[in-house]
Parts: sequence; C-alpha cells; structure tokens
Amino acid sequence: MSVKPTNLLQGTLDLLILKALGPGELHGLGISRRVEQITQGTFLVKPGSLFPALHRMEEAGWLSSFWGESENNRRAKYYRLTKAGKSQLKIETEQWTKVVLAMTNALTAT
Amino acid sequence: MKLWSLLKSAARNLLRKQQVENQLDEEVHAYVDLVTQERIAAGLSPSEARRTAMADFGGVEQVKQAVRDDRAGVGLELLGQDIHYGFRQLWRNPGFTVTVVLTLALSVGANTAIFSLVNALLLKSLPYARPDRMGSIYTRITGPISTDERHHVNGEQWELLRDNVPALISAVSSTRVSGVNLQAGSRVQYLQAGRISAQYLDVLAVRPIIGRNFSADEDRPHGPNTAILSYGVWQKTFGADNNILGRSILLKGEPYTVIGVLPEGATTPLNADLYTAIQASREGEGGGTNFAAITRLRDGATWQEADAQINRAWSHRAQRYELEGNPNAQVTYYSVPLQKGLTETLRPQVVALMLAASLILLIACANLAGLTLVRVLRRTPEIATRLALGASRWQVLRQLWIENFLRAFIGGTVGIAVGFIALRGLLLLLPEHFLPVARVALDIRVLAFTFLISVLTSVLFGMLPALATRKFDLRSAIASRANLGGDHLGLRQALIVGEVALTVMLLAASGLLIRTLIHLQTLPAGFNPKGVMTARASLDDAPYRDPATFRKLLAESTSAMRQIPGVQYAAVGLSLPYERHLNSGTTLSDGKEAGQQVMTGEAYVTPDYFAALRIPILSGRSFTGADGPEAQSVAIVNQTFARKFFHGTDPVGRYLDKKTRIVGMVEDVAVVPGLDSPDPLTGEEAMYVPAGQLDAKSLSLLHVWFQPSWIVRTAGPIEGLTAQMQHALSSADPNLPFSGFYSMRDVLAKALATQRVEVALMSTMAALALSLSTLGIFALVASVVAQKKREIGLRMALGSSVRQAMLHIGAPGLRASALGLITGLVLSAGALRAMHSVLYGIGVYDTPTILTVVIMLTSVTIFATILPTLRIAGIDPASTLREE
Repeated sequence: MSVKPTNLLQGTLDLLILKALGPGELHGLGISRRVEQITQGTFLVKPGSLFPALHRMEEAGWLSSFWGESENNRRAKYYRLTKAGKSQLKIETEQWTKVVLAMTNALTAT
Repeated sequence: MKLWSLLKSAARNLLRKQQVENQLDEEVHAYVDLVTQERIAAGLSPSEARRTAMADFGGVEQVKQAVRDDRAGVGLELLGQDIHYGFRQLWRNPGFTVTVVLTLALSVGANTAIFSLVNALLLKSLPYARPDRMGSIYTRITGPISTDERHHVNGEQWELLRDNVPALISAVSSTRVSGVNLQAGSRVQYLQAGRISAQYLDVLAVRPIIGRNFSADEDRPHGPNTAILSYGVWQKTFGADNNILGRSILLKGEPYTVIGVLPEGATTPLNADLYTAIQASREGEGGGTNFAAITRLRDGATWQEADAQINRAWSHRAQRYELEGNPNAQVTYYSVPLQKGLTETLRPQVVALMLAASLILLIACANLAGLTLVRVLRRTPEIATRLALGASRWQVLRQLWIENFLRAFIGGTVGIAVGFIALRGLLLLLPEHFLPVARVALDIRVLAFTFLISVLTSVLFGMLPALATRKFDLRSAIASRANLGGDHLGLRQALIVGEVALTVMLLAASGLLIRTLIHLQTLPAGFNPKGVMTARASLDDAPYRDPATFRKLLAESTSAMRQIPGVQYAAVGLSLPYERHLNSGTTLSDGKEAGQQVMTGEAYVTPDYFAALRIPILSGRSFTGADGPEAQSVAIVNQTFARKFFHGTDPVGRYLDKKTRIVGMVEDVAVVPGLDSPDPLTGEEAMYVPAGQLDAKSLSLLHVWFQPSWIVRTAGPIEGLTAQMQHALSSADPNLPFSGFYSMRDVLAKALATQRVEVALMSTMAALALSLSTLGIFALVASVVAQKKREIGLRMALGSSVRQAMLHIGAPGLRASALGLITGLVLSAGALRAMHSVLYGIGVYDTPTILTVVIMLTSVTIFATILPTLRIAGIDPASTLREE
C-alpha cells in the first residue's frame, strides 16, 4: 500500500523525518529511502512533500544542514538533528504513543 | 527558541533571497543527480535515467514553489509586494490619489483641530492635583421661575461656606481679573490682578516656589496689604530676584508686601499676573453676589456630606436673594465637578462644533466610497484578468484593502499636519481669556483618535468596493470591456444625496449664524463710532479714591487731550458703548410711579461724553462742568428707561432716589446686556451720572472691578494720536499708563467675539462640506462620461446633439443633487431648531438664508455637472464606433 504523505495524519511526516534522522545525518534521498525502509514500504515520501518539510523544520531549528559528499562522491545537502530536534523527537514520540494507545483502546473497546 | 529560529530564518529569507534561492536550486538538482546516478548504475542509459528521475521528482519548479510557499516570512514578503504594487497604483493615478488624500486630510484635519479643543475643554482633566475632588456649587431653583446654574456668592454665603462646611476646603476669588498699576523703579505697568481668599491656592493644590499662600490673617478685612506674584511677573519685572520675599512693591499706589511666587506654568482659573488677598466681608462688594467659589473635598469626606452641609449652612440666611421676586421657590445647592462648572457655558458650542466636524467626516466618507467604487469599476478588466490568471479572491481583495489603507495612512498623516495648522488658526481666532484652560495642545490621545478615524474611514469606504467585487462574472468581465457601472449608479447617487443633504444642513447653519452676526453688527448703534479712539487705564490707585483728586485727573487729562491738534472732543466714561454697563438699583420718586424700585444699567461720564460719541440728546440738556459735588445731583436716562419706567413721557424734571433730578434723555446705544436680555447686544435701559458727582465709596468699589475709558473724537486720522494721548494723561499723572488703545470697531469686535468665532468656524466647515460635495458630484458625472463614452458615440452617430447627450449624462448628478437639496432642507427644518438660542434678530426659518443655500447649491451642482460633460463635445462618434 502506498499512501501519499499528504494523506498522513497531521505531523506524521515531521515525526518520521525526525525518526529517520535519529541515528545520524542523511541527505534528502537518504531520508526518503530511510522512511520507506523503517515503515516497511508503507510510506513513500515524494520530493514535493519532503523538501518543504525539511526547510520548514530547519527554519524551526530542529534540523541543521551542511553540504557533503554522497556515498558515490556526489555533492549533496545533508541534514541532522539539532538539540531542539532531538527533544522534539522525544516529545512527538511520546505524544504519538499516547494517541496510538488511546486509539487502540477506543477501537478495541467492546 | 523556535520563534527565534523562525525570525532568524525569515530575516535570512528576506535579506539574502538570491543566496537562499541558489541553495535550493543546488539542493534540488543534487537530489535529481543522485537518483540519475543510481539508475545509470542499475543499467539505464544516461538520458533515460535522467528523464525518469525528473519525472519521478514531480516537477522541479513545483517543488521549489512548495518550499517557497512554506518559508518563514513569506507572508511579510507578499505584503511587501502588495504594498509596492499599491504604491505603484497610487502613483499611476495621481488625480485620484490626490483627491482622496486631500479629502481625507481636510476632514481628518478639521476633526483633529476640533477634537483637540473638545479634549482640552471637556475630556482632559484640569491641570491640578486630583481634579476629581474639586468642585463648584450650583444653585437649583424650582418655583415660578426655575433655574439651575452656577451662581456667584455673596459675603454672607462665603462666611457660612468657609466656617460651617467642614467637608470642604473652600475659597473664593473675584469673578474676573482687573487692571492694576504696578510701579517698579521708574516704570509703571498695567497688569491683570486677581483677588483670592486664603486657601484659594490650597484648593487648586498650587504651592508657591518661594514663600507661601495668603494666611487667614492677611485675608481678613482691613488686613495687611500682601501680594503673590506669578512666575512671569517675577521673571520679567523683578528679574527673578531671589530676595523678593518681604519686599515692598508699589501696587495700586500703595505698598504691598510680596509673600510668595507661583511656580512656572502654574495656572488658576483667573490666570492673572499677580494676586492680592480678597479680604471679603458682608459689607461692600460682599453685599452682593460678587465672589466666585471653588471647593476641594477633604480626605475622608464625601460629596453627599458636603452638599448636605452646604444646604444646611445656606438655608437659614437672613437675606436670601434667590427668593427675590420668586416667592415660595424651592432652593437647593449641590456640588458639580469644577471642570464642568468652568466649561458649562462653552459646552453647547463645542458640542455643535463636534457635530459639524463629524458631518464633514461623513460627507468625506460618502465621497471616498463613491470615488473608490468608480476606481474599482474602472479596474474591473484588470481584476478579472488577475482572477483568471489564478489569483484568489482573497489576494485581490487584500490588494484593494492595502491600497485603501495606504491612502488612508497618507491622508491621515497629512490630516494631522492640517489639524496642527487648523488648531493654531483656531486659537489665534479666539479672544484672550475666552477658554478657561491655559493652553490647548495636541496630545497623544488626540493623535490616536485621529488615526483611528482615518483607519476606520478606510474600512468604511474600502468595504463598499470590496462588496462590489464579490459579484464579478469573470467571463462577461473579460469578454466585453463593458463597464459594470449600471448597477452601482444607484448606490453612488444615494451617496451624493446623503452628502448634499448634510452639506445643506451645514450651509443653512452657517448662513443663520452669518445673518445673526450681520444683524448684530448693523444694529442701530445710537452713536457714531467713526473717528473715535479710546484708551483704558486703571484708577484703582489709592489717591483716586478721593473724589477731588479723581475730578482733577479727569479735568486735566481731558483738557490736555483737547489740546492735541485735530481732536474735537475728549471725555471719560465708564463704560463705553458695546460694553457692559454697571448694574444699579434706583427708586423712582415722584408721579404715579413713586416708590417703584427698578434695576438699570448705569455709567458715569464727563460732560463731553455725549458730544464725543455723538449720542443724540433727545430732550433736556447734557452734563456741564457745573454739575459738580456741591451742585444739584443730576442724571440723564436713555429712551428705553423713559419708555419702560415713565411710559414714554418726557423724563426731564423727574426725580430718582428723592434727590437726583433727571436733566436729559439720550438715544439708546447698543451695549452688552447686564440685566436679563439674552441678546449679545441690546439697547437696554441706562442712566448716566456725572463723574464729578461720584462719592468716595462708589469710586473705590467701582474701580476695583472696572477701568474707565478715555474717549477722543478727531476730525480725521492723526499721526501719533495714541502717543499724544498717553502724553496728555501723563501730564496729569506721570504714573498712570494706558493699558491699550481701541477704536470702537475693536470694542464691537470684542463684544461679538463669540459670534465671530462661531461664524468663522461654521463657515469654514460649510465651505469644506460644499467643496467636498462639489467634488462628489463632479466625480460621479465624470465617471459616467467615461463609462458611457461608447453609448454617447452611438447616440451622436444616430443623430443626437451634443446638448442632448450632455443632458442625458448629467441627469443622474442633477437628480441626486436636487434630491439631496430637498432632503437637506427637510432635515434642516427639524435639526436647526436646536440653534434657536444662538440666533438673534432672525428666525430659524429664514427665507434669505434658505434662498442663498438653494442658489449656492444649484450653481455648484450645475458647475460640477457641466464641467465633466464638456468632454462629450470632444467625443468623435466615428472613432468611438471604430473602437468596437
């Protein structure tokens, strides 16, 4: 199943990007691939959603960016979490867990 | 943290736009390159790899735009663009912009000036500490004659108020300032002095910077002579002498000890140059209501307690003047905030002014709404194009609002500048001591108010066109360049009807005031004001309380003035025509009216008074030098006196107060009424007594309050007359300065100051309203001409004459104006009745005024209609048809 990120719950894309960057820095394509991988192919993040989200999150101070070399020696713009980004990841993860728990309880209630 | 980061990013996005764009471009292309490389590695041909990578990417420009739309500060950037575009629109239509800015500036300016005055008089607190605890006392009389107003108090009331009302700190002062002579060194100055009781400055909470206030002992009758100087006099006359306390100054010909100096900028309701203790008692001036009382509530007391104490103290007086001629009336006293008490008499005028100013604003709004509507209609194709190209309705509306706001902002700013100038003009117009406040300044609240007005106006007139754009039909707007004006013509006509109606009201109001002023200025004066010069001097000096010295001064000074070449007559009188006479009670003592007590105006005069002013003697004789202190006591009365009290019979030979023989009757002269006439000028009953027969008691009392005038009549203009008059006076007393020189025209102008101010203000506003309305009609017709150019071309091609076309096009303007005129006249009939109390000599329904208004409005309407239709003659039917 492939869902357009615009159809995702509000804030899901931000959380996925934060999560994808958790282990370390990645460039745009890397983030997109990583999200696909950790969601087992459920979410395909298209550039049309990815780039606005990255820029917005960078402006919010959660991400920082720098130019680097890719695996095959091409210039690429890398992103990594800032301190604010890390705490944001923590906050959003907690919120998400709460929502999921609540939703699961609600849907399984008899 | 997040906000700071966003702000930083916004600043970077706005300031380093190119760099940010380059980076975005690079990043996007790096992404595509990466994907392309992968696909080549997977075995695709380079061109195929690139093509599929680009296709998967989903459009480089779209992605970049999506990033841009999300950027921090994007709203600000769009706003900047809109403002920039707005300014270009303003610049491209200078005629429209100037019209709108001018309209706003004039109306906002008028409102700024008027509101500053209102603020100073009615809203702003008095410049004293805790003004809410300061009061004045009102007397409410209900009975056969009912009144409710601030009364002056007499000596008995003052003593009871001071001693039996513990809830208040009370004080009294003279009701006005009087001219006095102050001798410092060899120079004698004419200054304005106020007389105040002990604690007067305590009520105002004004502390002297040097010295102290008057003590109870100094305020006792026959107490020591002491004075408190204003800061200005201390600076100018005494060179800011720090050792001034205890110094003796020669005031009114007597030594006074200086006990205090008021701080810089300190003011009192009297606003005098210096103050002396009033030393009030129940005798002399305290026998009548000649004091003005002010109060301050003591800490812990309430106004209810104070009012109860006042009523208790004043209800058991032996002599209650309130009940004279009004028996069985109920009299109660109550405190009113001092501010209200001081400004009560000006309030109706100020409120009327404010009303007029807001009408101007309404007219301006109607005009602006009409103008903006035309503007939007003319821009229909442009707006339609923008909508067709994908602009959202919100974007288009926002653009219109921003343009409106820019105009409002510019108009408001210019308006405040206009307001500054108008306020200064207004204050120059007002006579001195006209306002009970020391100064009127623009303060921050007034500026805020004015800005609010201009922004609100923008909202008001920005709304109508905004509503109009809602109903755009895109296709028809683009397809035909046809104008959608037809639907809105009715709305615009309604606006014109409204503004013309308001203009008619303002014109009628100002017309009535002008007619009143003309009536007052052309009243039969009863004397000949041409060729008369007058000068005033204070005779409050101690030596002149002696009748012999007083007589000698008058005789010597008038005789010296008669020596000036060209002078025909010289005389002295208290008072002049166009001034207030003294109020005096007298008893008719013979004939069938014997024993009747009457109130009359009274003036003392020297023998040549009637000749110098050319007041005709209708019967009997004038005074002569023989009417001295030892001779028979004589008087001259005027016609009204004879008509009122002697039923029109010749009064010569009749007696007043048993001993005074009436020796002549003169014509009535116009004076400011001192009895009960509401008119600003009247020929009320008056009696003249020879200056030579005044006794010491009346001399000292009179000259404390009033200053007599010297009068000379000349055959023609005399070079240096005033200097020669001063010289003549100095020859009789070197220490007596004149306060100033006034022609009878000056005296008349002073008497009618209120009316002149009313006329000047109201006429300015009416003229403003008229020009705004003219502009409105002009704009309406001009826009119809522009919109219907094709139709006119067709009509003329089909054989219509230019004249017929002009009539056809001008008709909406003419109709709207005519309807507005009728509506305005109907409204005026109702509203102007409120002006009844300020009109003299004419009724509210004054035919000449109505006719003038109709003629003026008709002529400007025709002018404003014909001018734009003249362009019709220049329309070439052939070329209009070709444009199709």
